[in-house]
Amino acid sequence: MGAPRAKRVGGAEPGAERRLTMFKKVLIANRGEIALRINRACHELGVATVAIFSEADRNSLHVRYADEAFCVGPGPVVRSYLNVPNIISAALISGCDAIHPGYGFLAENARFAEIAADHGLTFIGPKPGVIAAMGDKATARRIMREAGVPTTPGSDIVASVDEARGIADGIGYPILLKATAGGGGKGMREVHRPEDLATAFATAQAEAEASFKDGRMYVEKLIVNPRHIEVQVLADEHGGVVHLGERDCSVQKPSHQKLIEEAPAPDFDPALRDRLHDIATTATRAVGYSNAGTLEFLVSGEQIYFMEMNTRIQVEHPVTELVYGVDLVKEQVRIAAGEPLGFSQDDMHPHGHAIEVRVNAEDPDHNFAPAAGTLTTVVFPGGPGIRVDTHVYGGALVPPFYDSMLAKIVAVGRTRESAILRMERALGETRIEGVKTTVEFCREVLADPEFRAGGIGVGWLPAYLTRRAQPV
Amino acid sequence: MTDDVIATRARALAGALTESGFARLRIRDGETEIELRRSVRGAVAVAPAAGEAPANGAPAPAERRADVVASDVVGVVRFLRPPVTEGQELDTDRELAYVETLGIRNPVRSRGTGRIAAVLVNDGQPVEYGQPLFTVER
Repeated sequence: MGAPRAKRVGGAEPGAERRLTMFKKVLIANRGEIALRINRACHELGVATVAIFSEADRNSLHVRYADEAFCVGPGPVVRSYLNVPNIISAALISGCDAIHPGYGFLAENARFAEIAADHGLTFIGPKPGVIAAMGDKATARRIMREAGVPTTPGSDIVASVDEARGIADGIGYPILLKATAGGGGKGMREVHRPEDLATAFATAQAEAEASFKDGRMYVEKLIVNPRHIEVQVLADEHGGVVHLGERDCSVQKPSHQKLIEEAPAPDFDPALRDRLHDIATTATRAVGYSNAGTLEFLVSGEQIYFMEMNTRIQVEHPVTELVYGVDLVKEQVRIAAGEPLGFSQDDMHPHGHAIEVRVNAEDPDHNFAPAAGTLTTVVFPGGPGIRVDTHVYGGALVPPFYDSMLAKIVAVGRTRESAILRMERALGETRIEGVKTTVEFCREVLADPEFRAGGIGVGWLPAYLTRRAQPV
Repeated sequence: MTDDVIATRARALAGALTESGFARLRIRDGETEIELRRSVRGAVAVAPAAGEAPANGAPAPAERRADVVASDVVGVVRFLRPPVTEGQELDTDRELAYVETLGIRNPVRSRGTGRIAAVLVNDGQPVEYGQPLFTVER
């Protein structure tokens, strides 16, 4: 299919113009495939790059492809990829004028964004105040509710288990107890019966205290088996806001980690889609957002509920790039450099369907246990409509310290069916040996009639795994 | 091998050792064998391995060990005044230089007595984590 292209003001192609304000050198405060992704975007913009790496990543591709590289610490993330003084120092001594945080690590750390700014470095992301507001879940819910964005029925911070009980009685069980500082499922408990509330509250609060040093809790209605639908937005620093449609990320492991994502959401009512997009742009304006961001929603029937806003680029951004023909990472850099968006909402037209499979070094037969080791064979697929974002190669070592994702394979086609067929073909071409991966498992999921029909909820994959584990 | 050759090889091998994640690395080259050990602090020790004998057949020196003193921060290395020089004897554990990180002075210490075998960086040079700065013969 022809590559769709967003029209830029002045008729020039994206990337053709160069402003005097563009950065000279960007430090990439990340590793793995996203560090390479950012490196590519910077080089296409004519911006030099500085990589950082841990001792365990010395031979990683992101180090080789960058113009300069600094080792910032040993393997464990706290001493390397989260080592703020060494990272800022590397940016300063190499003459960088901006830092791209990628995703994970320091990407949603408002303090890091502030420290960068204090040292004259532009943080490629939203303003620290917005990162902090969206990072505190109860605050984010309040801001969204005040802006007219629908949130799940629930409360602000509750002072005690008794107050939580009062709220739960009002909205009805099942409920979710959530830590306002929470993330990654920590400090969160489902409660299905009133008699379980007190114990769940105590354990979730203790977990939040231990993990985030913040035990403040709130209550939310538990939406049963919703779809996870998120909307990509871009906002410049001059009030320009566009959305780039939605992604369906409902194929999630029992740990709530996404495994397969697609754009647009399949089997999705057009009126509901329009409403979702309107809500996303309204919310983006309401929080005074700038740069790339994602609003995550739970969708149940006709109901849309705001879940959270991720103030960074996301892992699954390529599916959006493929259907909208926009380079989201380059847009991030341009926006941070002060450029206005080169397109309006009327210029944004999706074409076709894209699907992404995460290739993780994990064993699907053993609860997706992560694996480390040497990759003896690595062959990625190619051909029409296939994009592979990866940092690994044959002989590469997968260190035990980091996220288990090895690659993202993305397929695009005119229709969902053609994209899935391409993906099945591409996964068949993929050869990764040395560690267990999710390749074959994802191929199996793609062939499932329920997945093929579209419109599954987040409970689908856990139920599928349970069925799969039963002896036939 | 001469001291200079040991220092040069130590510098190259220190990087390889750090990268490998191993605690110990042994390299054999002809009749010479070098063994590097990494301490918990990240310093790399160089010791002639058992069985090494100089090519001319003369008796081996009794004890010879060179420690690589590496930077444990990212910053700019600053020499003291007067700066440490090659061949200088260290009769006490002392500061050899410091690495400036965000305006903070991080002292680089000799970690014991010995003789400066090599100065591996220049004053004002940007350095990364784990970068060898000096070798000190014990």
